[in-house]
Formats: sequence, C-alpha cells, structure tokens
Amino acid sequence: MNTNPNEATAPAYNRSRQAREAETLLDRIQDDFPDNPEAMRYFYDLFRRVYCQGEPVKHEGTLVGTTCIHAPEELIYAFGATPVRLCNGSYHYDQIGADFMPAKSCPLVKATLGSLHAKAAVPNTQALELIVNPTTCDQKTKASAMIGAMGYQVHDLELPPAKESEEARLYWQRSVRRLALRLRELTGRKLTRKNLQQAMARTARAQTAFRTLHQLRKNAPALFLGKDAFLVTNAYFFDDLDRWTAAVEQLNAELQLRQMEGFQAAQKRAPRILFTGSPPIFPNLKLPLLIEEAGGVVVADETCSANRMLYDMTAVDEWLLNDMVDGLADRYLKPCTCPIFTRNDDRQRRLLQLAADFNVDGVVYQAFAGCQVYEMEYRSIADVLAAQGIPMLYVETDYSPDDMGQLSTRIEAFLESIKTRKRNAR
Amino acid sequence: MKKIRDAINGVDLRRFRFLLQLFFFVLLVYGGYFAVNLGQSLPTFACGFNDAGRGGICYLLPLQHQLAMSWSMLFGWAGLMVLQGFLFFALWFFVLNKGWCGYVCPLGTIQDWITSLRTRLGVRYSRYTEGQFRRLSLIKYLLLALMILIPLGIGGALLPHDMGTPFCDICPGRMVIPMFTGDFSQLTIDFSTKTTMVMTALGMLVTGLFFAGAFFKKRFFCFFCPMSALHYLLSKPALLKLKKDGAKCTRCGDCYRVCDMEIREIADEVKEPRIMQDDCIMCLKCVAHCPEQGALKATFAGIPIFESTEQGFIKRMTKGHQDEHKPQ
Repeated sequence: MNTNPNEATAPAYNRSRQAREAETLLDRIQDDFPDNPEAMRYFYDLFRRVYCQGEPVKHEGTLVGTTCIHAPEELIYAFGATPVRLCNGSYHYDQIGADFMPAKSCPLVKATLGSLHAKAAVPNTQALELIVNPTTCDQKTKASAMIGAMGYQVHDLELPPAKESEEARLYWQRSVRRLALRLRELTGRKLTRKNLQQAMARTARAQTAFRTLHQLRKNAPALFLGKDAFLVTNAYFFDDLDRWTAAVEQLNAELQLRQMEGFQAAQKRAPRILFTGSPPIFPNLKLPLLIEEAGGVVVADETCSANRMLYDMTAVDEWLLNDMVDGLADRYLKPCTCPIFTRNDDRQRRLLQLAADFNVDGVVYQAFAGCQVYEMEYRSIADVLAAQGIPMLYVETDYSPDDMGQLSTRIEAFLESIKTRKRNAR
Repeated sequence: MKKIRDAINGVDLRRFRFLLQLFFFVLLVYGGYFAVNLGQSLPTFACGFNDAGRGGICYLLPLQHQLAMSWSMLFGWAGLMVLQGFLFFALWFFVLNKGWCGYVCPLGTIQDWITSLRTRLGVRYSRYTEGQFRRLSLIKYLLLALMILIPLGIGGALLPHDMGTPFCDICPGRMVIPMFTGDFSQLTIDFSTKTTMVMTALGMLVTGLFFAGAFFKKRFFCFFCPMSALHYLLSKPALLKLKKDGAKCTRCGDCYRVCDMEIREIADEVKEPRIMQDDCIMCLKCVAHCPEQGALKATFAGIPIFESTEQGFIKRMTKGHQDEHKPQ
C-alpha cells in the first residue's frame, strides 16, 4: 500500500495477525455450515488469497481508492482506472487507527485509517494514486486531511448534507463533474461517450447480477445464507469487476437450480432477519454470523457494504456525455439511505418495503459504537418498525471480539422470542 | 398471460412511441386525403388551418369561434351547441387522458423529432431551473383564460372583431402543420388591420421560438400549451391513468431525470397514488425508466396496461449501453 518500495516488505507480525483474524472467520463461514453453495468456493478462495496470503489486488491502469459508496465508480472505470473500496473491517487496523481519532469514534473509519497507515496492509492494494473521499459523515470528512498527511493524494468529493432539494442535486452534479476533471488530470485520458458507456455497461451487468441474487433471497425457505451474501458483496470492494460479475452469475445459476429442487439452506421456521445499520465488512462479519449460527437467516440487508452499494441503478435518457454523468450523479445521491442526510424517511420506507417483500420476521440494527448517525436514527427506525409490529434488536458494537459472548446470548434470545411469536400467531 | 404482460412491460418504449406517434401524425395531418374526418372536437392540435390534409380539427378553433358569438346567442339556445362541442371534446379526452399529448399531438411529435435530431447531432439539452419552471408552468393557464375571455369580449362587443381566434393567431401549429401538406400560406403577416398585423407578427415570433426552443429544450412548447391546461382541468375522470405506489418507490429519481416536462413530483411524491401533474404529457417514459417492480403504472379503466418492472428497466438500459451510433 505504501508507495515507498523499501517499506513494501511486510513485517511478518502485522501480516500474520491480520491474516489470523481473517482465517478464523473464513473457517467459521465455511466449516460451521453444511451445504455451502459450490459457487461460493470462488469467493472463499478469493478471500483466503487476498486476506490470508496477502496476494496483491489485481487492477488495470491507475488504482483509485474510494472511502465511501458515493464515489461514482463508473467514472473511474471510464478513465481506464480501477476503483478499490478502502472501508476496512479489521480489528487489527482499528487498533492502529485509534491513534488518529478520538477514543469514541467509528471503528470503520479508524480501521480504514489504520490500514492506510500500516505498512503492507491487507488487502494489498499496492500503489494508490488517488483516494476519493466523499464528504459524508463528520468522521470520514475529517479523515481526509489525515489521509493526506500520510502522503496520499486525496480528492474531497463534496457531498451535500441533504438530498431532497434541487439545489443539493445540482451541487452534487457539479461535484461529480469536478471529480471527472481530477481523474482526467490523473490519468491523462479523456472522458468520452464511448468509454463511459462501456463502463456503465459493466457496472450495470454487475448490478443486474446482484439484483438477481437479491431477488433469489426472497425465496422461503431460504436458498442460501446471509453470511455468504455479505462475503459476495464484500468481494465487490476489491475484486475484478467482470470476474466478480461472472462469479455472481454462476452463483445465481446454482441458486436457481436449488430453487427448482426445493432446497432449504435453513430450517423452514428459521426466523428471517433483515439486517440494517453500520455495514458488516470482512473480517467483521461477527453479527450476521452470530445470527445464522444461532439458527436465524439474514434474508436481506440495508447496509452500504451490500444492498445500498449495488441495488440502485442508473437511468439515462439521452446517451450523451452530459446526461450520462448527471444520471450517474443522481444515482449516487438520490436513492441513498445513508443516515448522514437530514431526513431518514427514505430509509424508513426502504426498510418497511424490504421487510414486506422478504417476508421478514425481525430486524437487527447494528450501530458501531461511535457511529453517531446510526445511533441517532435508532429511535425513529425503532418507532416505525414497532408501529408495523416488526420486532427489532438494536446492537451497539465495534470490531473487538470481546462482546461476542454477550451478543450471542442477546441474539439467541431475540430469535427465540421471534419463534415464540410465530408459534403463537399460528 | 404472464408472458404477454412481460412482453408489454419489457417493450422498447422509444420505438413503440415513435411508431404510434408517426401513425397519429399521418392520421391527423394527412388523413384528409384518405377521407378521414374525426370531427371538430379533437383534444389535440390537429390543426384546422391544414385544410387539405387534416383528419380532424383541434377543438380550440371551433371553441374560440363559438365563444365569439354575440352574447344574446351564446347565452340563448346556441349555447347548447357550445356545450355539445365541449361534451364531444371531453369524451374524446377521457379515452386517452393526456396521452393525447404524448402520443397523438402532431405538434408534440414534431418537437420529439427535433429532439431526436439534436441528440443525433450530439448537442446537449437544456433544463429550466426550478424557479423558472414554477413560474413558466403558470403561463398556460393565463393563455387559457385569455383564449376564453377575448372571444367572449368580442361577442359582447367589448373587443374588436378582428381578434377572432386569438390563440390560433399565435399558435405555432397554425404555421407549422399546414407546411407538411405544402401549404406555406400561414407563414405570413396579415396586414389587413392593425390587430391582425400584431397578432400574426406575434404568431411568427412564437413559431420562431418554437423551433429554436424545441431544439434545446425537450417539449419546449408544451410548458405553455393552453390545451394542456384545459386537459388538466378535466383529467380526473379520464380512463387512462398514471399511478404510483409510493411504498415501492426508492426515490432514486430515475423517472424525474428522464421526464421531458421536468416534473419532480413523479419522483418525490410517495403518498398520493394519482401522480399525474398538470404538465404531464403521459408519454410514460417514467414508467419505462423505473427499476422498481410496480412502483409506477399506467392503467386503463382500472386495468394495469403498462407497469414498471426490473426486467423491463434492465432490458431498456442494456439497449442504451449498446447503442453506439444512435445516442437519442
């Protein structure tokens, strides 16, 4: 990750600690569950190679890091560069990053800072020539200067704090166009209708594959488990776009086959859980994994490491550069349900609709300790769900494994209460 | 049944619309040559000045004529004739609602062709700012009011008779549509009286603006169309309806960004299922560009005929990604 070649050799200790964390988790994901889809092998192997063996992330052209889902990746691809999402889920880097941020801040931001600061971090993204840092939450906004101080080139992609007004929309469209200019400077290439069209076709294919996977999760009983779904979307952070898409398409084909055979990945009465809140990012898949180890099944999510990142698609009216770029800008702002925005009605409505569509029995709301915006939205979401009679478990946690015991007790109790409810309802 | 439904929902709307618009254009602009006569109460700009080719007459022409009758006649038995004309107009309108604008209106079709020409030339569109839009969309009501009040004023001998059909004088349809049958005679300034001179000169100006505006702005003229205002006043009981299921909407704004009429409510409104606004031309592009299953739909007499689907959206966008030479 560091540009200095002398520092590129990894101190064995760092790599091994981080690798152990990843390996333990992968073992649990693979071995604790029978009947993993055959097509998941691609993703298991990918994570083992990248996280445990430190294999460098492959890329074409300039490598551009992004710290949030708001950075329009189609633009980056159109310039012949490759985006890699830097949001990090490792406890090891969380501890390193703690030097930069106040004690009670978001582990995701700390871990991202930590991994950028660490020598030869994993995933091994080699030389990042630019980091696009959307000004989303306070912590990510302030992280910008710290990342800059580490010697990286940072582009602050200015995001408005509200998304309803037309002013915000236009401000954001200008912001995105400015990013395009920065990328042109960086890569020395030009943005053309053709290369943007191709880039958009590639991500649209990936999104289509994701949507198919998403829809397959509506099946009751479940065709596959949420822990695998999170692994798939996590791979999107750093995997080659076309290879990722092909692997997901293969997984979809296998799941469609399962559907025809009437396969059950979880018990028929397993509580169906909708996961929302702070994003589970590998190797911090602690909460979804605990839910499924306790007999629940995560059938849908509303998080920026999965659904929010891939679900919404871009519409274009006239295939001219201006309409395509504005269309992209709209797609990265308007449907976003991130809690940083002024209002959260869209998030409430999205959750209710997901709960209805996926026949959800309960919602698990993860808030990272220090992720204030999710903590602040807890109440409004709880009220809306309660009004619809949907039970919710609110979990405040971080990347440390210390609260695992306590969490598993709470989750078991929550799932048990759902089962009782279902029994009584019958 | 499901297959038919999927086929309809997956339709290439751009192509479908182009063909249907072409059909109606020929019917209304050249229908006269084939002895087509759909009467004189059509709720669309089938221009009556296109003597030779018209397949029917735009209701605004007879309406202005009728309202200019002397008041004693208008408020006597002859008033029934006005009511009868209005009734036929309303009946025609109820069938397609504002679909008359998006699919039938020859002037709308011409604007869509101009847009198509612009995109082929690779020229970007322009948009109004929100403030401009709010103000501009009131003009059509003003024009509608004038279009009714001026003939009434003539009938009451308050205004000179040579203002005759004030809206037709300034309507670009009067000059543009007859051109398609080789009649350029409308493209003149009438010097017979001062009033006609002013009105026809104004008409020339509006026609110039029509071409220039439509080149840069999608459906430029429709924002000012008094027919559109009149439509909206009658639109509630119409059979063709645009509906939105707000719960399914993610407010991604895809519908708004493809809307020729820049109607924001289509994306933002999530409570009211009857989503059609006064500027809407029911082109149904919003439905075609909505990726959420069943969030937007067009219904006819309560039966859904065209619905937004994920598959349809993906199909149409994939086509766009591959369309290398025609960026329309």
